[in-house]
Amino acid sequence: MLKTNLYYKKGLPGCFSRSIWVTSFLLVFLSAPKLSAQQELMLHSLPDIWHSNATNPSFFSANKHFALGLPGVSLVGSQSGNLTYNDIFHKEGDRTIVDFSNALDKMDLQNTVLIEQRIETVSLGLLLPGKIWLQAGHANRVCGSITYPKTLPALIWEGNAPYIGQTVDIAMQAKLSNWNEWSVGFAKDFGKFKLGFRAKFLYGIAALMTDDAHKTATVTTSDDIYQLTLATDYGFHSSSLISSIDTTQYGFDVKFGKYNSKLFSKNKGLALDIGGQYKLNESVTLDFSLLDLGGKIKWKEESNYLISQGSYEYEGGILPGEGIIEGWDSLDLSLKLDTINDIFNFQKKAEEFTTTIPFRLYAGGQYELNKKISFGLSTYFQKSADEKGVLAIGASARWKPLNWCSIGAMYSVNKQSAANLGLHLVLTPGPLQVYFTSDDVLYAFSIKNSSKVNFRAGISLIF
Amino acid sequence: MHKRLSLPIALAITLGLAFWSACKKSDFQNAELSDHQAEFAFPLFTTELILKNLLFNLVNDSLSSDTIFMNPDNTMTLFYSGDVAEKPASDIFKFLDGTLPILMTDTVIQNPIQSPDGVTIRVADILAGRILMYIKNSTPDTIHGYFEIPQLSQSGVIFQHPFVVAPGLFYLSDTISLIGYHLESSNNTLTFKYFAYGPNNVRLKVPDFPVAVTSGLKFSYVEGYWGFQWYKLTRDTIEIDINQTELKGDLKIKNPKVTMRISNSWGFPTRGQIKFLSFIGQHDEVIPLTSTGVFEQDSFNYVDFNYPSWLLGEVGQTKYTDITLDASNSNIAEIFNSQPTRLIYEVDGISNAQLDPNLIGFITDKSTIKLQLRVELVLEGSVRNFGAEQTLNLDFSELGSLDSADIENVEFKLVTENGAPISSNVQVYFRDDAQHNIDSLFLGGPVTLIKSAPINSEGIATGITRTEEFIPMSAARFDQIRTAKDALLITSFTTANDGETYVKLLSTDKIVVKMGVIVRKRL
Repeated sequence: MLKTNLYYKKGLPGCFSRSIWVTSFLLVFLSAPKLSAQQELMLHSLPDIWHSNATNPSFFSANKHFALGLPGVSLVGSQSGNLTYNDIFHKEGDRTIVDFSNALDKMDLQNTVLIEQRIETVSLGLLLPGKIWLQAGHANRVCGSITYPKTLPALIWEGNAPYIGQTVDIAMQAKLSNWNEWSVGFAKDFGKFKLGFRAKFLYGIAALMTDDAHKTATVTTSDDIYQLTLATDYGFHSSSLISSIDTTQYGFDVKFGKYNSKLFSKNKGLALDIGGQYKLNESVTLDFSLLDLGGKIKWKEESNYLISQGSYEYEGGILPGEGIIEGWDSLDLSLKLDTINDIFNFQKKAEEFTTTIPFRLYAGGQYELNKKISFGLSTYFQKSADEKGVLAIGASARWKPLNWCSIGAMYSVNKQSAANLGLHLVLTPGPLQVYFTSDDVLYAFSIKNSSKVNFRAGISLIF
Repeated sequence: MHKRLSLPIALAITLGLAFWSACKKSDFQNAELSDHQAEFAFPLFTTELILKNLLFNLVNDSLSSDTIFMNPDNTMTLFYSGDVAEKPASDIFKFLDGTLPILMTDTVIQNPIQSPDGVTIRVADILAGRILMYIKNSTPDTIHGYFEIPQLSQSGVIFQHPFVVAPGLFYLSDTISLIGYHLESSNNTLTFKYFAYGPNNVRLKVPDFPVAVTSGLKFSYVEGYWGFQWYKLTRDTIEIDINQTELKGDLKIKNPKVTMRISNSWGFPTRGQIKFLSFIGQHDEVIPLTSTGVFEQDSFNYVDFNYPSWLLGEVGQTKYTDITLDASNSNIAEIFNSQPTRLIYEVDGISNAQLDPNLIGFITDKSTIKLQLRVELVLEGSVRNFGAEQTLNLDFSELGSLDSADIENVEFKLVTENGAPISSNVQVYFRDDAQHNIDSLFLGGPVTLIKSAPINSEGIATGITRTEEFIPMSAARFDQIRTAKDALLITSFTTANDGETYVKLLSTDKIVVKMGVIVRKRL
């Protein structure tokens, strides 16, 4: 009896589960709109705004005594190429539909999503005698990057048939960290010179870091009879994010860890900020700051290392020739495609690991033409431990048509673009400070239609 | 003052609300993949058909494994052998095997040896057997004496057995073993004597006849004159299975042979008389296997078997006679072109067919005469459209788990890698319970799925020929085929160069058949 068993699971495209892709891409794209500032030149150009203290611990208003920082959020994210949110997501009723039909054409062979978010929940500033400002605060930060090959979404979206005769890369590289940041610091006004220090106590919430020494995963579809060869040497560290990946059935069942955004954890780290400001004359002020010096977090809670190593070729059923010739009663043609997943068979072991926080540098100056108009120059440099540094330079102009309102613009240059037009709007009615800034205003109000996002907004009270 | 602040505060609140609304993440709470088409390619199966296995199956399953002989050069020879016809010496030695009472009506009697017709025994060695002696004394005196068989001796001592019998009584000896006795008789007789003496040693002839009884006599060697004797040796049928399959078409086997081997350890001339030697054709027609220069002829074809000679002292040896009928001396090649299904042969044996009155021969207890015929086919030949039909039971019930609703179509890819010098056309018909065709695998008719490998001048495959066949199938058609209960596989084979060239089939020749599929599916 010739038996042919084909196993399919509705909604699953053969051996590849959509779940992994949904998980991966939601991880990226769900995160991107929430993330903020790599480059915050515009905020840096507003030293009288309390939240600008985040860019230089020596920034504070000389004639104020107390500051209460209410929530402030900065978002900076970018996706390589021209891929936008709307290229992938659209609404149908109350459902969000994920559609890669248009997105794939816009992707590069390798795509990178840079994400950085800073949510300053609360901060305090207090002027003590001797022109000393004490400061303390809490922020929640997400920082990282995800690099994925175009073939990763393409393979699941289009299937592997378009890649017959090819070996495609499906390995995604990621470095993501989310942590709480408790800070205390002080600044001293020495007259023309202000100097500030800030210590930041870091409590990690979750992290995902792929292992550069084990970062390959490929799928080969033979042009013979479509034999599938899966080869992996892929490992990653995870804390409180991915606890396991079950590959015993079709696809990948990703088990998430207990993502608990508690304020303190055993994942501890430390970073330092140093900043200075020098008033050259009545019109010109220079500033310089080094942020997140020595910043790193050692991850201990639910810290695991998962690795998949192996190579497996699925050739389909092997039917014994004698069976066919002799007409055996039963020839099993079962398609054990689920066995393909076995190759991924992620091995997990508890292992602590350390992530570093990118070091940042701000330098700039302000020229106050008069009470209503001023000009500024800002420089930003960011360097991660294992990546090249990123430099951005911006020139800004600020106009205060009213005592409680200022607007301004900035032209900046960075690696991604030589023409970024930033804007800010600051409203300061009484002790209230409400502001909106963006280093690239074109991407501030059309998050879903752009491949980048850059804005900051916040509220504070200062007396 | 209050009025001055209301505008900036309102603007600030508006700005704040706008910001927070932009950050809400409810968009992703009900995320779903949109419907789209994807194509997934994966392998289905691979199988390797070894020609040796294929041929084993092609011939009768009951054939023993040595039917196909792998030659040193990997060519294969297919042997069809008849039963071994054996005429053992035991057939001859049965003549004194039973119980034989000999009544001695006188003090000396001559008893002929019960040898087969035409055989006169002059020398024999006894391997087993017994003798009993009986004598009754009806005289008033005690008698004594002995029995004697002068032709029997052991180590030069003639057989004698004593007795003493009181008046009115009888004497019955124990069983006397004759093992190791040597028999020599000049006239194919045994002489039995008894010597009985009275009180004065006067020889008597007793009133009641003494008796000698032999039983279970077996000989290890018998020598004598072997006259003309006819006996049936064998009649047998050899099935030519390769021509009895469902295969249809034009099969030509290059250089078929029929061989006959006679092994003979009988020590006298035997003539094999070929009573019948004919193939039976596809339609049961009788096709005589005729030859020239192979057999002698009188009223029948015959052959005199080689034999060990008594004169040359070849006792215990075996002599062979081999007869080969091939294309050079017979019509067998023509016969095989018509794919005969069996060979029937009948051979009788005749001893001393030349009626030589002085012929002295021998047999031993191990002497046999064996005859075996076999058809020998080196698998070198050609076929054109050599077809076969095979029904494959199908059970697609487990495909119930396959949700074909979202499948738009599939495309099977059938690949063959052929290392044999043979091509094959294939069609598969899917059939319902009533064996009515539902569909066929190839819509345009049979397809040459397997193409002959390249061959050299000797007809041996020298490489591999790969073929690829793509079989598109709509989901609706696929669903219909899933209801099939069986599949009728129709194949036809043609050797290289459209069957015009003789090829050699090697045991190492193989055909790899494998299949993959592309499924186009809505997701």
